[in-house]
Amino acid sequence: MENELTVRIEVPAEMIMIRPLDVFVRNLIQQLPAFCGTEGLVDNLELAFSEAFTNICRHAYKSERKGPVTIVIRVGSNQLEFRFEDNGESFDPDKVRSPNLDKPCEGGLGIWLMRQVMDEYLYHSEKNGKNVLRLIKHISA
Amino acid sequence: MEIQKRNDVTVIVMDDRFDAAVAQKLKDVVRNIAEQDRIKLVMDLAKTRFIDSSGCGALVASLRAVIKNNGDMKIASPSAQARSLFQLTRLNKVFEIYDDVEAALKSFSQNV
Repeated sequence: MENELTVRIEVPAEMIMIRPLDVFVRNLIQQLPAFCGTEGLVDNLELAFSEAFTNICRHAYKSERKGPVTIVIRVGSNQLEFRFEDNGESFDPDKVRSPNLDKPCEGGLGIWLMRQVMDEYLYHSEKNGKNVLRLIKHISA
Repeated sequence: MEIQKRNDVTVIVMDDRFDAAVAQKLKDVVRNIAEQDRIKLVMDLAKTRFIDSSGCGALVASLRAVIKNNGDMKIASPSAQARSLFQLTRLNKVFEIYDDVEAALKSFSQNV
């Protein structure tokens, strides 16, 4: 199998999509040579994906204004990237407070978790209204 | 999810995925159950292969709802993924976690 793989999917930003997407993503990653026999790593990638998609459904698109999410999964020889593009509301992740783990809350862990389990969390908004989130995991050779 | 009654303990058996798609439903269910005083609740995660922060949040909310009316909640049979997430978020210090439902049920009688 080639070392480079790119998968592009466009779905509505609806919670009903999270399960079929996660099943697809997990099954895809498990078949990649770099991730064979690394259940813990696959679990973390699935977690990051789930957190990102959930946040887009909940926050980028408010209830009256649904929209599409373009998801690009790119696997190279030394990294895996999840890229999410939406046209919803943008935000500044640096202004999101880190959770206080000594005071358990009912929410607010998503971005923190993505940053814990992925190597890079990169977010930017473009002038045309597109928001782009990139989650990158480095792969050992 | 499935709700069972084992003597005076309510056991909620969660499904394969414990995520945002079911988190609100669980919170609503527990809120109704927890209106009774001193409810005993076990969250059975034996079938739960995957849990995310929404699931964790629902568990925290459920524990709060139960404690508010002098009840108690325990977690049983978490997967390796769930244990790892609880440890990462330090929720393993918040929840009472048991290897299986029987151990969780037994702990209620030992707490008397």
